[in-house]
Amino acid sequence: MVDDILTKKFKVINEYGIHARPAALIVRAAGKYECDIFIEKDGNKVSCKSIMGLMTIEGYPGSTMQVSASGTDAQEALAEIEELFVNKFYED
Amino acid sequence: MAITVQDFLDEGAERLSLSVIAGEEFLDNKLLEIAMNRPGLALTGFFQYFADKRLQIFGLAEFTYLKSLTEKEKRKRLQGLFEQQIPGIIITRNRKASAEILELAEVFKVPVIRTPMVTMNFVNESTVLLEKLTAPRERIQGTTMEVMGVGVLLRGDPGIGKSETALSLIERGYSLVSDDVTEIRRTSRGRIVCWANEITRYHMEIRGLGIIHVPSLFGVASIRRQTELDVVIDLKPPSGDEDRTGVHPDTVELMGVEIPCITLPVRSGRDMANIVEVAALNQKLKELGHDAAKELDDKVISRLTRGRVSHG
Repeated sequence: MVDDILTKKFKVINEYGIHARPAALIVRAAGKYECDIFIEKDGNKVSCKSIMGLMTIEGYPGSTMQVSASGTDAQEALAEIEELFVNKFYED
Repeated sequence: MAITVQDFLDEGAERLSLSVIAGEEFLDNKLLEIAMNRPGLALTGFFQYFADKRLQIFGLAEFTYLKSLTEKEKRKRLQGLFEQQIPGIIITRNRKASAEILELAEVFKVPVIRTPMVTMNFVNESTVLLEKLTAPRERIQGTTMEVMGVGVLLRGDPGIGKSETALSLIERGYSLVSDDVTEIRRTSRGRIVCWANEITRYHMEIRGLGIIHVPSLFGVASIRRQTELDVVIDLKPPSGDEDRTGVHPDTVELMGVEIPCITLPVRSGRDMANIVEVAALNQKLKELGHDAAKELDDKVISRLTRGRVSHG
């Protein structure tokens, strides 16, 4: 069975973009879930469970990232990632 | 997708010491042919088969020839060249561009770029650079190591132990190319070259430790800028249906190139680095023409059939 892919776009609104700390938060959030979860920008797609991946994705402040998840708990995973983006990764 | 003069400049500005001296606003000109051309013949007025889609190089020969002409003739010949709608001009040996060239560049919308390199070296270096620039490329998930000259790409789900395996390999004296995210391109010879993203190059993430800088800890011998890929190793949780003989090796396709692929089950306590090391060695042996699994199988078959069947 192929799971549906849930996709959502998020804007990077914190001051420094996706640097080490936000990357770690995303990895920690995504790592809790079984589902496959990816982040994509400008045709580059990396796993949300990879710190190195997130740091190479060039998430500048103001840029828009597309996150897609597929698997049993995709919905919950996406919601938790969204919370991080909306709350500026709890920075400032 | 055609590359532009700007792309060439971005990639080579530092390595080829390029500087734009005229026509900066025309750097968007497209390079429809990926090569350099010396416009010597064109300057004599012969335009049949003129490679007008390439960057034109003005070296010592071109300048010396132009010098031999009268002012009026020189201007006419240069104008003839610019009328071919060339994408850009490169001046080597840091020669001064004459006023005519600068003026014509503005009129005909041609960027003029200068380099201190001598023409021969410049052509060699920039040809390599252009090929690199136009090679198809992708970004994939996986850690790349070079083990005894064998390029190994470690893949697997997050947390399976790619970085930990790589770390053990580094401790054994092998070199890290990229951790977790690998950039790949296909060369004109049909090989896959792996390297690391510029931002995170030579860094690794180890669970519990965080991010480490590999050459600071293990020395410059522990890193490689890029490597040609020879074998892909997929780390998987044990499933029970692993290949037990290696007689029918798998391959995986990356950018249209078939690469040998080995699936290794990860169990706690299993020394993955050791197995990856042997897998790399075995791959090297196969490339030299020795396939241990096949040779043993042939021997067994020959024995079972009392020599009726002998594989070659």
